[in-house]
Amino acid sequence: MEKMGFRFILFVLAISFLSTPVISELILSKVERKIDLTSQIVRISSSLKVENAGPNVVSEVLLAFPDFQVKKMAHMAVSLVEGKGKSKGSSINLPAQVVHPDGMPPALTLYSVSLPRGLSKGESLTLDVFTVYTHSLQPFPEEITQADIQLVVYQDSAYFLSPYEVKFQSLNVKLPSSRVESFTKLEKSKLVESELKYGPYEGLPPFSYSPVVVHYENNRPFAVAQELVREIEISHWGNVQVTEHYKIAHGGALNKGGFSRLDYQARPQVRGVSSFRRLIAKLPRGAHSIYYRDEIGNISTSHVWGDSKKTVLEIEPRFPIFGGWRTAFTIGYGLPLEDFLFVSEGKRFLNFSYGSPMEDLVVDNLILKVVLPEGSKDISVSVPFGVKQQEEVKYSNLDIVGRPVVLLEKTNVVPEHNQYFQVYYRFNSLSLLMEPLMLICGFLFFFITCIAYMHADFSISKSSASYLAKLQLDEVQATIQQFQGIMNRCLAVHDKLDASLRDLSRTGDVQACKAVRKLSINLLKDLSKDMKPLLIFLQSSPQAARIWPKVEELVGKEKEMEEKVMLKHSIVVEGYEKKSGGREIENRVAPHQQKLTSLKQEVDDLLEIIDEFC
Amino acid sequence: MAGSVKSISSPVPVTLFPTLAALMLTIGLIVTASFFIYEATSSRKTRSVTKELITGTVASVFLGFGSLFLLLASGVYV
Repeated sequence: MEKMGFRFILFVLAISFLSTPVISELILSKVERKIDLTSQIVRISSSLKVENAGPNVVSEVLLAFPDFQVKKMAHMAVSLVEGKGKSKGSSINLPAQVVHPDGMPPALTLYSVSLPRGLSKGESLTLDVFTVYTHSLQPFPEEITQADIQLVVYQDSAYFLSPYEVKFQSLNVKLPSSRVESFTKLEKSKLVESELKYGPYEGLPPFSYSPVVVHYENNRPFAVAQELVREIEISHWGNVQVTEHYKIAHGGALNKGGFSRLDYQARPQVRGVSSFRRLIAKLPRGAHSIYYRDEIGNISTSHVWGDSKKTVLEIEPRFPIFGGWRTAFTIGYGLPLEDFLFVSEGKRFLNFSYGSPMEDLVVDNLILKVVLPEGSKDISVSVPFGVKQQEEVKYSNLDIVGRPVVLLEKTNVVPEHNQYFQVYYRFNSLSLLMEPLMLICGFLFFFITCIAYMHADFSISKSSASYLAKLQLDEVQATIQQFQGIMNRCLAVHDKLDASLRDLSRTGDVQACKAVRKLSINLLKDLSKDMKPLLIFLQSSPQAARIWPKVEELVGKEKEMEEKVMLKHSIVVEGYEKKSGGREIENRVAPHQQKLTSLKQEVDDLLEIIDEFC
Repeated sequence: MAGSVKSISSPVPVTLFPTLAALMLTIGLIVTASFFIYEATSSRKTRSVTKELITGTVASVFLGFGSLFLLLASGVYV
């Protein structure tokens, strides 16, 4: 505390010594500042009423911040408020950039805000300046025990630091509770409930500075992600996969004197008030396949609920996080592609939120990686704030040349950075077929290997007797297969003839039956012609010696069967032509039918024997 | 961002992935089986390379797309 105070005095001295008359004729007629100290993030919103008192048109307004604040500044937004009084209309965001005008005191950083149109003499406008600071609340005492409450110190100026004269100003400091250890007492300062009020002060010269220090209780979670790596992987097959690797620490007062689980379990609100045990992430709607794990494995203490607008994920680390304690974990989820990927004028773009989805989380170093599909070209990025940009290549499933990765790095990220950024790229839809094509090629390679293996001849000695015998056997087997095929077709013809007889008995169409017979005779002739060379080969081949008698017998039986079938056919047809009675025909056919049945049995047996040979 | 901005979705509805995977893998495996049955039953003389290649290609197309959809359905977005 002593040291801090001393630094402040030095700072004020420096300012008062070095401040020079103002260069511009602007004055701030009214300044209202609100400092929100309810969480670990300090949010200051100031409303400035700027008036031009000089004769010249002014097109820029300077904002001054002490260097020690700028170092911790995470976010700044300046907007011009349209409309006056209570009926505040829309606001326009204005760009602000660091400038170094001459004659300004050191230890100050000045931002120049350019106005959309010049401010002429006597005119006024209202600017809203919103700034966010991290790591600005210093725990004091720096070490506390498990049961202690966490007290923090915040320091700022009671007066608005400005290069312009400020006519009228007030400051409100919003605290989480009314428990305040101490605060700097100036004239016109008072503490009402959990709000600390300074002012109103009137007619202060440029660069007025009056340090104030607030020492108060703040038990809100001081969750600081020292490093967060967010990886967003786009798959055009319908998914945006987000993986977030967190390294989280408690950024508040360090824990001392050990940790008693028993105490904590018994009264967590009292014995562990400065710790936090859960984090809440607001994920976009449609988030699915959510997981929460660390190096050990899955962490089961998480809950998900959601509606059509959002998905809320509540995660509990493995242990409550006390001051200075660290934990590392990974969460991941899939999102529907159509909510985030768009196409405009031939270019595709990803529209995604930059910051962490965790509530009230300060990220010291955020590395965001956008993994685009393989084959993306002409990549460009549009981010609403400054980031360090890099490109690299990632190899993932089914990649050949790798996927282009856009790396966006930023330090000091607060929830205010949850703004949409865009990554534009070109992608040919046909590249989508690369992955299935690779899989197909893989399988095809396997099949071709099989074919090659089956066709290759791996015998070492091509002239050995056994090898030659095997070759011959192969040939014999092939011939017998062909023979079997022809034989089966012969039998099929027999069946067809039989079927024609049945048709005859049903319809009495003799002509159709005769036509079938004629066709069958031709077919059988052809088949026996085909069979001849096969039989000659089988007869001459020594390898077929064992099976030849069976084949010969089968051919004989088949011939016999053929004759019988024909005979039966002609008898029946004749009977129909003579209009004999059904019983008479049956009597005449009966002996042949008997013979046919036994022949069929024999043929079947022989076919089976031959089949076994193969 | 001006002009016509259209959202991009998957060429195949995400909900169809499991069905497609099952269907195509079944067909693929049946064709594969027929390929190997043919390899095993035909002898060197009667085997036709064209038939083998056609069966192999058909099987690999079905297996390729089937395994792609299996990957997608199981959450491995390639």
